[in-house]
Amino acid sequence: MSDALVSFIIYGFAQGSIYSLLAMGFSLVYGVGGILNQAHGAFYVIATYIFYTSYLYLAQFGLAIGIILALIITPLVGGLIYFALIKPLKESHVGIVIVTFAFAFFVEQFVKIAVDSIYHNMPLLIPGTFDFFGLSVDNHYLLIIGIAVLLVVLVTLFINKSKLGKSIRAVAQDSEAASLMGINVDRILAYTLVISAFLASVAAILYVPEDFVRPAVGWTVLLDSFAIVILGGLGSLPGSVLGAFLISYARSFTNYFIDPTFSALIPIVVIVVVLIVRPRGIFGKKEID
Amino acid sequence: MGVILEVNNITKKYSGLTAVNDMSFEIHRGEFVGLIGPNGAGKTTLFNLISGMVKPSSGTIRFDGRDITGMKMNKIVNLGIARTFQLVRSFKFMNLLDNVGVSCLSPRGKRLAKEYGIDEYASTILAATGLVDKARLPPIILPHGDLRKLQIAKALGTNPQMLLLDEPFSGLSHEEQKGITDLINKMHDDGVTVFMTGHVLRELMHLVPRVIAMVQGKYVIEGPPEEVANNKIILEAYLGRGATFA
Amino acid sequence: MLDKFGEKFAGVPAYLRDWIKTFRGKITIICLILLSALPFANPGPYIMGIFYTFMIYTIFAASWDFLAGFVGQVSFGHAIFLGVSGYVVAYTLRYIAFIPIWWGWDNGILVPVIGIPINWVTALLLGAIIAVLFGMIVGVPALRLKGPYLALGTLAMSLILYQLFLMGQLGIWWEGTFGTELFGTDGLGQVPPISTNPLIQYFMIFLIMCVSILILTHLVKSNLGTVLKSIRDDETGATASGINTTKYKILAFMISGFFAGIAGGLYALRFSGVNPALFQPLYSFYAIIIAAVGGIASISGAALGAFIFVFLGEILRLLGDIPGLEGFGGFVEPIFIFSIFLILIIRFAEHGIMKPALERLQDMWDLVLGR
Repeated sequence: MSDALVSFIIYGFAQGSIYSLLAMGFSLVYGVGGILNQAHGAFYVIATYIFYTSYLYLAQFGLAIGIILALIITPLVGGLIYFALIKPLKESHVGIVIVTFAFAFFVEQFVKIAVDSIYHNMPLLIPGTFDFFGLSVDNHYLLIIGIAVLLVVLVTLFINKSKLGKSIRAVAQDSEAASLMGINVDRILAYTLVISAFLASVAAILYVPEDFVRPAVGWTVLLDSFAIVILGGLGSLPGSVLGAFLISYARSFTNYFIDPTFSALIPIVVIVVVLIVRPRGIFGKKEID
Repeated sequence: MGVILEVNNITKKYSGLTAVNDMSFEIHRGEFVGLIGPNGAGKTTLFNLISGMVKPSSGTIRFDGRDITGMKMNKIVNLGIARTFQLVRSFKFMNLLDNVGVSCLSPRGKRLAKEYGIDEYASTILAATGLVDKARLPPIILPHGDLRKLQIAKALGTNPQMLLLDEPFSGLSHEEQKGITDLINKMHDDGVTVFMTGHVLRELMHLVPRVIAMVQGKYVIEGPPEEVANNKIILEAYLGRGATFA
Repeated sequence: MLDKFGEKFAGVPAYLRDWIKTFRGKITIICLILLSALPFANPGPYIMGIFYTFMIYTIFAASWDFLAGFVGQVSFGHAIFLGVSGYVVAYTLRYIAFIPIWWGWDNGILVPVIGIPINWVTALLLGAIIAVLFGMIVGVPALRLKGPYLALGTLAMSLILYQLFLMGQLGIWWEGTFGTELFGTDGLGQVPPISTNPLIQYFMIFLIMCVSILILTHLVKSNLGTVLKSIRDDETGATASGINTTKYKILAFMISGFFAGIAGGLYALRFSGVNPALFQPLYSFYAIIIAAVGGIASISGAALGAFIFVFLGEILRLLGDIPGLEGFGGFVEPIFIFSIFLILIIRFAEHGIMKPALERLQDMWDLVLGR
């Protein structure tokens, strides 16, 4: 098989699995709270930079410390955003969009100032390569695919089987009824943001070693997540996973068989086309307002 | 007088629920007709269908000789049907004069209002509904009864041939109800066809000469109030088996 | 006929007289006088430049506010108009001598016979007209989208243009067709300014700003404004009142696009060129924050917001350059501070953000004094 085809297959799959994590988090927050969280990309940035700065200053403890810090702090920020910014603006959906958007700018600038704007590299989490149909692929990609897929399965099981998952689904269906049944809707919404931020930080930790550490990555993450979730259907977790692989393979295809410069256009075009033609996406159930 | 509204086999299905089921009836120009039915009978859905807010799953509606099935709401308004809503709505950030002014700026309303000047015409309507001294105030400060009057004033701004009033008495005190009743009677006397739903049965039954009754989306009966009130199906729907309407 | 005109005109001074008597009217007149006097105080090109930028952003933010504050359509992609108009103006002034409007035969060949000569005025109008077309294009999908979806949909559209202009070509498949060149990352430069005389340039921009604000304010207070506001307050209610909301929403996008286009064209003239950066979400963000500071649902508030934005931004930039403040200097980066501002404003503003800045200042003052 040609190198391009093999690259297309494996890298497309890896990107799809990362996208799945990001999209599931974004979709969850929307499905449960009706919130289009513009700070979703900021979670990725925060995790990335915590990971990176730990690597810079705490290297003696290995990469593990950075991973742990990122996985703890980022979700906390997620919860914080809920209570400080989102909850007080509950009645104004546009207000939430503006304020989370502003927060995303804030994080990007903060990180530029506190660290720097230069692209950096981080070491792979597992060294070495393996042979995939004649192409030499980093072992790190096995880690990406393995962990991401595992998490997608875990999150799906969690949402469908666990008690907390049931509460989350209840709030997603009807928050008033859920609160009448004794569910603390605020806490549930905060949890979804925490979960969303956690998934984004896992995605960041897995992907950054193969990509770059850079401040503007938040916007790409946000845009891609939004495109995936719009395509798959807002509020639908299976839709997010399907959308993730559709878009990642669309991008992969464009990268290897058309022209890499066009690949950046794909998520944006998807958004515009879907919103015009079929706003609820593939599996979306909710009416768009 | 001629038929102004013709509803033929109108049905509205939502996934799994048939809100309006094969209803047919007629309303004549200048009539004053009531629409009754217990909660959830489909009265508001029927109004939504006639006013164009919602498209029927099947069936046709004719108004003033024209087929208006599936027409857009604003087009229907400009043909002469105006409605009020069960849950009062208003333009929150504008004063009463402008609230009515918007209706006067619709193509249909403007034709008439332009002769007098939009603001002047809107003031006249507010005066007719007893709201003119609050013309420069925002709706947020109005008591419920005045909000219902505002709804009617806004509907009048479009110079309607027919008014659909959805639960105009809901939540009103006896005093306030009287105010609305006088207003509606005045409009009817001026030649406007009035089609009104009511949940406060007593009020409605004394007001209208003819009533159409629906239960669970289906047409049941129509006729003078006393007849309809004593119909078995209606009684059971409202009061349970074995009851009578006093 | 002159009588009728005189009647209409006679009404204006009365309205104007009442307005001048108000606090707001007085402040505005004073500011206008100060602004007119500025160039005579010989402030130098640096300060003049800041004022140009201020005036451009005033028009831009006012156009956004018209759409968002008065029609309820919040766009996150207003940079589209800046960029489109900017590129049209730049391209026209550099490569086109005149726009043909009538053709005739000359020796068997069809040639343009009457044309509109291109100078900065006609180029600016052309840019604004093309921006209006884009207003229609953007307005159509906007009909289906509400609230956050509109915001993000418009953002996506601006990003498409950003990517396209960044790539520099409209595509390999269209090679050979005219106009595929999009100039790439360097953009279009060497655009002649409005005038080499700084006084004339200043007053032209000043005039354009005043006229734009006047027109937008008039529109908002007119019957059209009432209809647009009804769409903002309750779109279904507006439809139930017989209003064709589709028609008016598209009209609003076109009007907003026109003035945003004027701002974009002025930008190209002021900075002697354009580049793809003009399409970035950053610029759309500027419109939002300026309008938020100045008061959403207040056209003149855009001027206040733009003033604060531009001057505060400049002060912050200067602060950051102070030697010895490195390390901390970074934290006064304007965008950083403004993002915090925006968060605070939106988070703590009563009534969403409908009240103009002055009233909010009053509220905050009251709060501080414990009233």
